[in-house]
Amino acid sequence: MELLNRYLEAVRKHLPWQRQDDIVAELRANLEAQLEEKEAALGRPLTQVEAEAWLKQLGSPMQMAAPYQVQQYLIGPALFPVYRNVMKIALSWCTIIYCIASATALIVKTPHFIDFLHILTNVPVILLTTAAWVTLVFAALEYTTTHYRVKLPGITQPSPAWSPGSLPPIDSDAMPGGKRPSYAKSVAELIFGYLFLIWLLLIPRYPYLLMGPGADYLQSLPYRLAPVWVPAYWCIVALNVVQVGWLAHNLFRGRWQKPQRIAHLFYKAFGMVPIILLLTAKDHATVLLKNPALDQVRLGATLDGINRSINWSMALICAIAAFQLVWGITKLILNAYRKRATLAG
Amino acid sequence: MTIAENLFENLRLELRRGCLTLAVLAQLRQERYGYTLRKALADDGLVIDESTLYPLLRRLETQGLLASEWREEEKRNKRFYRLTPDGEQMFAQLLAEWHAINASVTATIQSTINTSL
Repeated sequence: MELLNRYLEAVRKHLPWQRQDDIVAELRANLEAQLEEKEAALGRPLTQVEAEAWLKQLGSPMQMAAPYQVQQYLIGPALFPVYRNVMKIALSWCTIIYCIASATALIVKTPHFIDFLHILTNVPVILLTTAAWVTLVFAALEYTTTHYRVKLPGITQPSPAWSPGSLPPIDSDAMPGGKRPSYAKSVAELIFGYLFLIWLLLIPRYPYLLMGPGADYLQSLPYRLAPVWVPAYWCIVALNVVQVGWLAHNLFRGRWQKPQRIAHLFYKAFGMVPIILLLTAKDHATVLLKNPALDQVRLGATLDGINRSINWSMALICAIAAFQLVWGITKLILNAYRKRATLAG
Repeated sequence: MTIAENLFENLRLELRRGCLTLAVLAQLRQERYGYTLRKALADDGLVIDESTLYPLLRRLETQGLLASEWREEEKRNKRFYRLTPDGEQMFAQLLAEWHAINASVTATIQSTINTSL
């Protein structure tokens, strides 16, 4: 039957090349026996339409051949949980390192819009490259464990060193019904928050509250803080006023035990404002000379070094704060999604 | 196919998968070639697609549970399969396991029916 021959030749193309002839010969014998029986029952050969319907019922040549191929996962179920964890860690570290490196590069030279654009457009490329390398390593590991299971029996087994005692403690904030802050703790937070605010407001008038005896020494130095510190300082004050106000509000409304996840995210976001103000200071100058006309030649290089160090530190803090903020938002979204799925399910 | 039908189909296939191997091993205590094996299984109520049965025979042979040989029958070369001694032993073990599972599941279902009544 010509149609059956064409079908078997099409199946052959998808079979493992070492066993093609053998498998096709066996399929031919089985299918021809089936065909003969059908024709004997009908008392005539199958028509073209009937033959097509029969072969269609067997499945496409690719479907027929697929089960003869060696069953190989790219990353199988035994390795997949490890792969997912490693991927998360790799992508997180990659993002952190890239943010720090980019911030450093921006500080070293005067940044332009095109530099920011270049950094942003590079993010997907770097993340995809990292993901590709992790996947490649795990695919190789999967291949090795599948093909050398007898020689390497322990490769996907859990480590015998694992102990339930080493499990991380439960995050009471994330756990429904977990430990909530007590009234005494909330009152203490409010009192100390208020005292901290007063201390913060007194610092400009009495610098020794911050520096101690070092305040007099700093006064004698030929350096002073740039004007950009003023709005940054008031941002910190404003943030603390909001925090104390919110604490007092929750306490008097009897809501101190309610989770404050969104408020904490707001504090984190608002806390980045003074850092960004300092980072975007004109010419990255957060410290200036008291008498530039006199000291520029002598102390200019030292001043540049001080400003560069401050900028670098601020960029690092900003990157960490941004990462924490993104992480917090992601957790909030995931919790909301989980809660909704639980309610729906 | 609706989601519920699709889910049923997946669970049904999962349930059948292990039983098919047992049924094939049971049939191949007597020598057969692919098509007659498929017919024998179908006659017993176990219809298996060609694309499932024939590769399964190859896998069982690779695992040393079946032996095969090409032989002419009715003027046509056919590949005949039968159980190897290892296959006989494996079949006995799987059969015992299947009886145990069957008894446990039946007892569980029976006890839940009695409880609900």
